[in-house]
Order: sequence, then C-alpha cells, then structure tokens
Amino acid sequence: MADAALFLSDLALGVLLGCVFAVIAHGLNLIWGVAKVVNVAHGEFIMLGAYGAYFLNLWFGFNPLLSIPFDAAIGLGVGVLFYFGFLHRELRGKESMDLQSEMVTLVSTFGLSLVLINTAQKLWTPDNVGIPWSPGYVVFGPVQLPLGGLYVAIVSVSIIALSHVFLSKTYLGNAIRAHSQDIPAAQLVGINPTITASIGTAVGFGITMVGGALLTVWLPTGIFPAMGNLYAPISFVIVVLGGPGKMWGSLVGGLTLGVIINVGQLFLGNNLSLAEAAAFLILIPVLLLRPEGILR
Amino acid sequence: MTRVLEVSQVHKYFGGVRAVQGVSLAVQEGNVIGLIGPNGSGKSTLLNLIAGVMKPTKGRISLDGQRIDGWPAHRIVEQGIAKTHQIPKPFLAMTCRENVAVAAMFGSNKQKDQSEALETAGRVLTLVGLEGKADSISSNLTVQERKRLEFARVLGTGARILLLDEIFAGLSPEELRDAIGMFTQVQKEVGFGALVVEHVMRAVLTVSGHVVVIEEGTKIADGSPREVVENPAVIEAYLGAEAVHAPT
Amino acid sequence: MNLRSILSVGPTLWGIGIFLVILGGSAPWIPGFLLTLVTGLLIWATLAYSLNLITGLVGYVSFGHVVFMAFGGYALAFGVGALNLHPVVGVALGAAVGLALALGIGLVTLRFRGVYFAIATLVIAVAALYIVLDIEELGDGKGIILNPAVEPLSVFYTILVTLAIEVGVTYAITHGRIGYGIRSIKGDEDAANTLGINAARIKLFVYALSGLFAGAAGGVYAWNVSGAFPYSSFSLTFSLQMLAMIVIGGMGTLLGPLIGTVAVYLPSQVFLTIPLLSGLQFTVIGLVVIIIALFVPGGIVGTLRKYIPEFRGMLE
Repeated sequence: MADAALFLSDLALGVLLGCVFAVIAHGLNLIWGVAKVVNVAHGEFIMLGAYGAYFLNLWFGFNPLLSIPFDAAIGLGVGVLFYFGFLHRELRGKESMDLQSEMVTLVSTFGLSLVLINTAQKLWTPDNVGIPWSPGYVVFGPVQLPLGGLYVAIVSVSIIALSHVFLSKTYLGNAIRAHSQDIPAAQLVGINPTITASIGTAVGFGITMVGGALLTVWLPTGIFPAMGNLYAPISFVIVVLGGPGKMWGSLVGGLTLGVIINVGQLFLGNNLSLAEAAAFLILIPVLLLRPEGILR
Repeated sequence: MTRVLEVSQVHKYFGGVRAVQGVSLAVQEGNVIGLIGPNGSGKSTLLNLIAGVMKPTKGRISLDGQRIDGWPAHRIVEQGIAKTHQIPKPFLAMTCRENVAVAAMFGSNKQKDQSEALETAGRVLTLVGLEGKADSISSNLTVQERKRLEFARVLGTGARILLLDEIFAGLSPEELRDAIGMFTQVQKEVGFGALVVEHVMRAVLTVSGHVVVIEEGTKIADGSPREVVENPAVIEAYLGAEAVHAPT
Repeated sequence: MNLRSILSVGPTLWGIGIFLVILGGSAPWIPGFLLTLVTGLLIWATLAYSLNLITGLVGYVSFGHVVFMAFGGYALAFGVGALNLHPVVGVALGAAVGLALALGIGLVTLRFRGVYFAIATLVIAVAALYIVLDIEELGDGKGIILNPAVEPLSVFYTILVTLAIEVGVTYAITHGRIGYGIRSIKGDEDAANTLGINAARIKLFVYALSGLFAGAAGGVYAWNVSGAFPYSSFSLTFSLQMLAMIVIGGMGTLLGPLIGTVAVYLPSQVFLTIPLLSGLQFTVIGLVVIIIALFVPGGIVGTLRKYIPEFRGMLE
C-alpha cells in the first residue's frame, strides 16, 4: 500500500515536472519546426528567462508567474534579433535547409551559447541563486503536490494549447505552418518567408524564456549561468521524442521524460542519476525505431 | 559472359501507398531498355529498389541468377549495377575528374591505384564530352553538365548494367540531340546494358531497343518502341482517353 | 613506403613534423611553467585533431566528443590507481577504451545525420556522466585521485608522440584511396553509397580512430592533473572547446586544428592570468566562433588558401 502511494505520488510529480519540461522544450520545437533550425544556445535562453524571473523577484518582489509577460516580451524581441543575426542569411531564398547551412547554424549558435554562459557568469557570478516562493501544498488522498508546480503545469499546458490554436486557427499561424511545410508553395500563395520565419522564431523565443521563468518554481536554488547545459539536452530529447514541429509533441516528450525520471528511480533502486541517464538515452531507440517521433 | 538483371514481381509499399505493384522486367548487358510512364507511376522507385537505395516489400531481383534484393547500395554497385540520381548529386568540392575517379576506385572495378583511377576518369570524361571540364570543381558546372557528370560517374564504376534516371531531362532540343548522339555512341563503345527511365519520349524511343510502360506501379505494356507508342493503353495513360484516336 | 614517397608528403606535414621535432628536442631545456603550458597545448591539439577526424573530415558534428576524453581519463586513473600500471600503459588503456566506446557508440549514432547525430552524441555524453556517478569502481561520483608524482617530461613526450602519430594518421587517411571515400561521404553520402562506397564502414572506421586519440588525450590529461573527476571530466565545455578550435583553425584541414588550438588555447591562458579578463575568454572565443561560422567558412587555414594563391599548394 505504501508502495502504491509512493508510486502514485512519484507519478503525479513526474507529470507536473513533465509539463514544465514540455514548455521549456516547446520554444525549441517551434523554431525547429518553422525555421528548420536547431538552436544550440536554447538552454541559454532558458537561463535568461530564469534570471529574468529572478531579477523581477529581487527588484519588485514578483513571483515567477507574474514575470511571464515580461519574459515573453523580451523573448519576442530577442527572437527577432536572433532570426536576423543568425538565421536569415542561411534561410534566405532557400527552399529547404541543406546540410551545409545546418552545420553553420549548429556552430554559430554554439558560439552564441559560449558567449551567453560566460557573459552571464561574469555579470552575475557562476553561483546558484533562487526565488523564495512556495505557495504551499495541496493534498489528494495519498498524494501531496506542490501548489507552485501545479500552477506551473496548468500554465505550461495552456501555453502549448494556445500555440496549437494559434498555429491552426489564425491566419498568421496557418502561414507559419504552410511555410514550415513547403516554402516555395507558401510563397506562391503570397506568404512572405522572412516575415513568417522571423515571427515563428520570435514566438519560439518568447515561449522559451517564459519556460525558463516557469522552471524556476522547481528550482529553489537552481538558477545559474551554466544551467542550460542540463536543460538544453533535455529539450533536445523532448523535441525528438515528440517529433519536431508537432505542437503536442512537446507535451508527449516532456511527460515521457518527467515520468521516466520520477517513476524510473523507483525501479532503479531509488537511483536518481541512473533514472536521469535512462531519460536521456531513451532518445536512441526512438531515433532508431521512430525517427519521426512518438506521435504520428 | 553476358550479364542479366532480372526483376520479378517486385512490390514496394510506403505505408498504405502502393508505389510498385508486381513489376517484372529483364535487362541484358548490351541492351537498352526504356522505362516510361506518367509522373508518379513508380519508375524512380523501381530504380531505387534495384540499386539498393530502398528495399522491396516483396518480390525478387537477381543478377545472373543470384538474388540481390535487399542488399545495401554499395554492394549492388560492386556486383556491377550502378544508378544515376534524378537530381544530380556531384561531390561539389571535387573536380569532375575526382568525381569520376571515386567511382572507379570504389565501383565495380575497385581500382585501388589512385593514378590509374584518375586516368580512367579522364577517359570516361572524354567519352561523355566533359574533357574540357575535367579539372573544374563540379560546383561550377551547369545543370546539363551535371547530368553528364552523373552519367560519367556510373560509367566510371565499370558497372555492366546502368540504371539511368532522367539523364535527358531539361535539355533544349539541340542539347537533347547531342546528348542522344553521345549516349548511343558510348553505349556502342562500352556495350553496357541499361534501364533508362525517361520523360522525354523522343529520347527514350531513340535509344532503347525495348520499352516497358508502367502506370500506377503496374506494367501496362511492353514491346518495341513502335509497338508501345501505338498501344492504346499507353496513349490513354499518357494523354487521357480522348487522345487515343489522335496519336502523334 | 620508399624514400621518395616519404619526401613527397608536402610542406604542411613537413612543417608540423619539424615543429614537433624541435619542440621535442628542446623540451629538457624548457622552463617548468612553459613546459606545462606546451603540454596543455599538445593535449588540446590532440583533442582537436581527434574531433577534426569525424567532424572536419566526414562532416558529422559531434557535441559529445568529451565522452571519449573522459573515459580515457578514467581508464588511466583506474589503471594507474587500482592496477598499478605504468602511466604510459594507462594512456594506451585510455586509447583502447576510447576506441571501443567509439565503435559501440558509432555503430548506433552514425546512422543519424546532421543535427540528429549532434544531439545523439550530446545526449550520450550527458547520460554517461550520470552513469559514471553511479559506478563504485570509478569513485562513486567523487572521482579517482592519483598520487601526484608526475614527471612533466614523460607526460610531455607521451602526448607529443600521440599527436605526431595522430597527425600522420590524418595525413594518411586523407591522401589514400579512403580519403576519396571520406570526401565523398562529406560531399553527399547517398551518392557515395550508390558509387560503391561502404559509407557506414568508413564512418565507423574514422569515428573509431577519433575515439582512440581522444581516449589517449584524455588519459594524458588525467595523468597530468593526477586524477579523473566526474563533473570536470564530462564537462561539455571540453566538447565545445574542441569544436571551437577546429572551427577557428579550419575544419577538415591538416594544419587547421593545430592553428585553432594555438589560437584558442594561448589567449585563454593569458586571459586566466588577468583578473579583469579572467572568465571572459570563452565570451571572446564564442564571438570568434560566431563570426567565423557565419562569415568566414573555412576558418583561418581555409581563408589563407582562398585569398593567397601561393598558399594553395602548400597549406592543406
């Protein structure tokens, strides 16, 4: 009985954690789907989002949820800059991304990641900081859940749902989807590739930075300049698991990872590090057997 | 020994899409077989199946009686069957000579010696009329020249059966005439067998001794070029039913 | 190989060879602090050449190359610490472990192309850290500390010889028949396959070599710092630093990794000694990488070859 309770509560925690994983990966998913670009510096924008929440809390006492609109606004702006700085030259006038351009964006965004981590370390020291915010717990039978995590999960799922609605129901969203599927055809029906790709990238960055803010709820002392080195690989795995460009894929991938990490340790002798290794390595069989991701 | 490629009852399904459904044909060294059919009829897929780029869902492909279906592409080339790519895929950082030398080194003849392979490449480039471009980097070639380089590379492998995917496409009438002349002469000289997938009717009817027509993955006709163009089923497949009574 | 073919290897290989010989010959007279610096430089050059094999020559960007270095280091630490091996044998053990790992990892990951390969290697490197944290024999998360009785000259000569062999191997595989195969795979893997090149086998071969040398370099690194420690050994910064070196020097060239190592390593060391700049070296390296990736494809060596025709026949 105690085991069942433990299992349930680990499962519930895994689901909550999975939701926040989903949202931090979601921005990457969007950019990968729209611009066909993998942003190696993705983790650093999560880090910037987390620091955004941290400073808003430090200066104005905002809790992480209140920092969402600010992070989103900064993310949108940064996304546009990123598009024109790093992607435009490679994407302009192309029908699809060739291996050469893929290499260029991989390497240049990797350079960006070095710059961001080390500048952040110089500005804010390499030490961990955190946001003191814990709104308490809620109890469902044998399961006790942190309210902060619950709020974050709700917001995360809403963001993913909203982005799905945006892409499938609005004119701009449809233009972005058309662009991501077939650039020449999209151009034929009057869709401007530069505007669409830059907006898609901007939205992706907005969501990434918001994801960083939401993540802080789970990290009482886990905000530090190099944190992206952990959350970028997590995001990569999630997007590949769900399938790049599939909006619900982020949620599927995130939940898979969250549950493997939390429930997995129960089966691996309470060993968190092995559970984390397993969560990363799940990528390999998925890539071998279902390269298009778990979702059809 | 004259080598024979036999394809029998080959199928290829992509999920629910049946791209090739039970096609059979044979290509003998020295003979040129045309493979025609409307867009999306499964011609390129069939070539890819033979060349080992994809595996057939079912059916049998054999060379001189030995089954080769499902083998990886590089082993098929070693056995003496080589394929061109519909969209030429030259190694852009290499010269034309190096492009063909790679084929000579790794293809059916496996010329281990680099200088010999480079010599072979020079000869092959002369055959296809690219001798003037031998030492140009292949990224500088025009589309037409890239098509020729693609052809030169399969010749360079030393394969005896060539699978040629639209090597005459996109050429102007004069270029087409030149290309057909070049092809016929090289074929006579080298004596390879070929399965030629082509949209350009004039080209395929001129170069092939025998033509196979497929539509929606199935063979609908088979015969000499003359027989095939007069076959009502073929005319219908190409031009729609109304054109049956007004053949060109 | 006859004398004539040995003499005809070209100025770049001659240049690197003479540089290494002079370095080796003068080592006993190099003052201690400088020898440490040069040893570090050679370790990094070995790592850069190792990544250059798979990423520069074959075109597969690996973000997880640190995994070979780290396990090479652990192999040495375990061999020397627990089995009482001579450190040079420990380095050989590191090389063997790197080779075996690369064969295993490559067999799976080399099926993935482009970003998928990059991500798969990254993820394996991250997962490997978590696994090592849990292996009792490897220090159970605390690492292995060795007796620091290190003879600097032995470390120096071991890495010097390793690097020399590696540069020779790089030259050999780029100039033989297999070199054409490798260039073809980088150019267009599908086309390479349909011309009779067994791309899977060549890629695995090159990746295995790459793992071997990274393992050896990792062994020397662990020997030099007297131990292997999980968080520092598996630091992704190492992977990234190697990548920065070959990008800056010129990917896929024979001289590029050495130039890139000098260009990245020496300034970093200088930055470290100036308090105001300490920590900013990676910001600068990152900026340089961005500029080179976006505007100067080919890095230093590629650019020299492009704009100075006299260098074309000499530099490779």
